[in-house]
Formats: sequence, structure tokens, C-alpha cells
Amino acid sequence: MDETARVGLKYCGGCNPEYDRVSLVKHIQESLQGKVEFVKPESEGVRLILAVEGCSTACADLSAFQRMEIRTITNIQDSEKFIKEIRTQLGSFAD
Amino acid sequence: MTMMTAEQYEESLRRLNLVVYMFGKRVENVVDDPIIRPSMNAVAKTYELAHRPEHEDIMTATSHITGNKINRFTHIHQSIEDLVKKSKMGRLLGRETGCCFQRCVGMDALNALSIVCFDIDAKHGTEYYKRFVKYLEYVQENDFTVDGAMTDPKGDRSLPPHKQPDPDQFMHVVEEKKDGIVVRGAKAHQTGAVNSHEIIIMPTLSMREEDKDYAISFALPSDAEGITYIMGRQSCDTRKLEGGAMDQGNLLFGGHEALVVFDDVFVPWDRVFMFKEYEFSRQLVEQFAAYHRQSYACKVGVGDVLIGAAQTAAEYNGVEKASHIRDKIVEMNHLNETLYCGCIACASEGHKEASGTYCVNILLANVHKHNVTRFPYEISRLAQDIAGGLMVTLPSEKDLQSPETAKWLKKYFEANHDIPTEHRMHILRLIENLTLGTAATNYLTESMHGAGSPQAQRIMISRRINMQEKQRAAKKLCGIE
Repeated sequence: MDETARVGLKYCGGCNPEYDRVSLVKHIQESLQGKVEFVKPESEGVRLILAVEGCSTACADLSAFQRMEIRTITNIQDSEKFIKEIRTQLGSFAD
Repeated sequence: MTMMTAEQYEESLRRLNLVVYMFGKRVENVVDDPIIRPSMNAVAKTYELAHRPEHEDIMTATSHITGNKINRFTHIHQSIEDLVKKSKMGRLLGRETGCCFQRCVGMDALNALSIVCFDIDAKHGTEYYKRFVKYLEYVQENDFTVDGAMTDPKGDRSLPPHKQPDPDQFMHVVEEKKDGIVVRGAKAHQTGAVNSHEIIIMPTLSMREEDKDYAISFALPSDAEGITYIMGRQSCDTRKLEGGAMDQGNLLFGGHEALVVFDDVFVPWDRVFMFKEYEFSRQLVEQFAAYHRQSYACKVGVGDVLIGAAQTAAEYNGVEKASHIRDKIVEMNHLNETLYCGCIACASEGHKEASGTYCVNILLANVHKHNVTRFPYEISRLAQDIAGGLMVTLPSEKDLQSPETAKWLKKYFEANHDIPTEHRMHILRLIENLTLGTAATNYLTESMHGAGSPQAQRIMISRRINMQEKQRAAKKLCGIE
């Protein structure tokens, strides 16, 4: 499958994150083997927003993206769910 | 330009023509001076993080004037969420720099003036708010760092401004002109003064009619003619001149304070925001102080660094599993997170003023700052307890580099064979820096006196407590009423 999904990446401000948000995003990107391109959330053609929240307070301002699909990660476990969902949506590709 | 990068900020400082003195000499190159530069690095961090996607949600805001994306340090709070994000920004930057990043005081001055200018106009029909908004837009569009200057030298504390033997002990008007005013006086303890593009002056205490010449607020470029900066010393400051990479503790960042002297400085009318409306001086002092007491959220972030350092030192010493060490680390976190509760609470319980600006809950902001006058000292005591005496008896890093002594230091200061002795020395130097070195200026004594000494908060707490309601509740339960 050649399709690459453009996902808008929106971080919370990271005042006191419980995990390394930037490293986790890198892990997600590597796990999805180029099938996902993370772009600025306000970019053209973005239909899905990935909100990467440093803790369960999840305070990132998502008000500008209310008409879009939003997936939220508040911990490392959530990222595996996101990876699985994207893999399913984009069809199977090698792990 | 709406948001400068860290590099643009540094270059903008090079264009200033500040008159700065330190160690009895004029500092010709302020930006590159090794004593001052770490403090510039700390302010630069406020610019850098605003451009990073993983921090922009806290570090930026939308201007209510222009709709542009701006650095939060130039923002007027438009909601409770803004106030909460300000507290979070303080923790973030405190942890990223391990010191005072100096830029909160200007933000606090801008927000307090946005309320008070509006209220003065409502009473007197003046045009301060219009002037202020024009000035604010200028600050936002240029992404300036602003020094908010309140503390006068004050001379004889038993006397009000107009009775001082030396009238210059409080900033005052010495001449009124058609196009502006001439002012004289000084502001003490000015954090980040020489890293600022602008300086906002505010009265230092409540004024009565007799003191109306002292009830003034205005803004000037930091390099306006007649302004002189005299740098304050910090404990262990000259370690920054030694050229090493260990003994200064925090290798990247620091703070600074200066005495700022105004020797007959001209202020054009369009930069005057209060002129003899003495009855508003108390409001300006209280609201600025409340915002600034909230700003001590930064100490939570510095506390994060110190707790991390203490835990690391314990691990390097091989004592991290000892029950009393674990309990001390818990206590440090308890104190630090209690501070966090206060700065979040005063923001969450904020309110909207007539100007539209959101102000923190003044009682809770004072309670928060009052805790800050105490808890960092106890956190520091526990950090020193955990670190051990070596943090103050450790030889110089030059002894670690000397062929004659390096082998002895590496042999006798090794505690864990898997940890290089240098690492142990680095972490102890950081604890020293935070608890009795240059950073202790900000983590400890600034926590005590910055934004008002403890008694100032106790006065505000006594003013703001609803005692009658507490008595009513007590009397009702025991059958008196």
C-alpha cells in the first residue's frame, strides 16, 4: 500500500509530562513505517488530529479542530492503540 | 515580526545601548559577558520554546488586539485557561532552565496595567487605556522582553515618600513638560533588567494625596537616556569566569538582578499610564503583586530540577534504597507539588475584571507565594541532607584535570564503580548551585523577598480573609446562633 496519511500533530504544552512525548511520536512514526506523515495540525488536507498529551489532564487546546477526527494519547499504552488503529485503517503492511 | 526566535532575541539585545556597570567598570558587551550571558540564555529559552511544537500550546497565545499568534509573555489573560497556562508555563521554564527566566515580571506589569488603566479612565475620563493598548500592541508585535519595575529603594521605611529626607528614594516627577514628564529615582533588585528591551515603572506602595508626585507609572525603552544599570553580585558568581564546565553547577542558565537608576529621564506622555492618580496606586500594587506571586510557579520547576538532582546524588552514592532517603524524596515532592497546587488554584479561581482582563484570585496567589517563602528552603535542606557534605568540600574541577591530583580524586570520590566520578561531581555542583550558589539567589532569597516579603503576603491574607463567614459557621454549629 503506497498511501501516506497526513495526520495533524498537536502537542499539549508539556508543563510536567509523564513520558517523553517527542520520543513517543518518533516511535509511532517508525512503527508505521512511513505510512503516516505528521504535519502541523492546521495544514491543508488534514482529516485526523493526533493529540499528544503529557498526562491525563489532557489540556491541549483542540478548539480549532472540533470538526475533525481527534485521537488522544495520554500515555505510552495509548500509542500502541493508535498504531494498531492506523494499521487497520491503512490496510496490512509488514510489521 | 510577531514572535522572535532565540537567535533574533539575542541579536536584538546587541542593538541596545545599555549603560551597565559591574565590578566598578562599564560593561561594553553585555550580551557576551560571561557573568551575564547565562541569564540571557534563560530569557532566550522563552523565545525558543515558543517555536517548538511540543511547547507552543503553553508558550503562545492569540492576541486579543490583533488576533496574531504571540508569545504568552506578552499576552493579556483572556480566560481562566490563560491564567492556568501561565502557571504551567512557569513550571515548564523553571524546569528547563533551573533558574529565574526573568520574563514573567513584564507580563505581570502589562496585565496589571491593563486593568488599572481602564479603571482610572472610568473614574477620571483620562485616556490611559487607549495609550496602554497602543503600547501593548507595540510590545506584542516586536515580541519584547519587558522589565516590570516596582521596588523603590524606600529610604527610611518609617516615612512615606513625601517625608523622605532624600525625595529620590521613591521614583517621582521632577518636571512636567508639554510633551512629557521628567522622572528621577531608582528601582532595586530588577531581575533580568539588562536582558530587557523595555522597562515599565510602577509605584511601590499605596500612596496618599501628599505622595501624588510619586504615584506614577510609565514605560521606557531600556536604553533611554539617563538610565544606568548597576549589576548585583550573586554567591559564587565569579566561577563563571573560570572557564570550566563543572564548578558553576548549572552550565547553561542563570539569573541576574540590577539596581536601575533614573537620573532625570524624560518620558513622553504617550508612555505615561498613571500620573498622580494616587488612589489607584494600591490597586496597581496589589494586582501586580498578585500576578507576580502567581508567577512563582517557576519555583516548582526549579524544585523539579533539585529533586531530580537529589535523587541522582542518592543513586550515585548508593543510598537510594535507604528508607529515610526515600522518605526525604517523598517529602521534597510533597512540598513541591503543594506549591504547584497553589499556583494552579489561584489561576483556576481567577475572575474577569471590567477591562476584560482575567485576574488571579488575590487571596490564593498570596497564600501560594507565602508557601514559596518557606518550602524551597526545606526542599533545599533535604537536598543537602541527601547529597552529603561533599557538595561543599569538593575540590575544583581543575584538580580533577591536574595530572598530580586527578587520580586521587577519581579514586577517593568514586562511590559506584559504574558511575564516573565526574558525574558525581557534576550533580553535587548542581545541588550546590541551587542551594547556595548563584541559583540560590533566585531559588531561595528571591523566593523569600521577590514579589514581596513574607509579611506583605500576611497583610494581604488578613485583608482578604472573610472572617465573619468563618465565625458564622462556627457559631451556628455550636448553638450560639
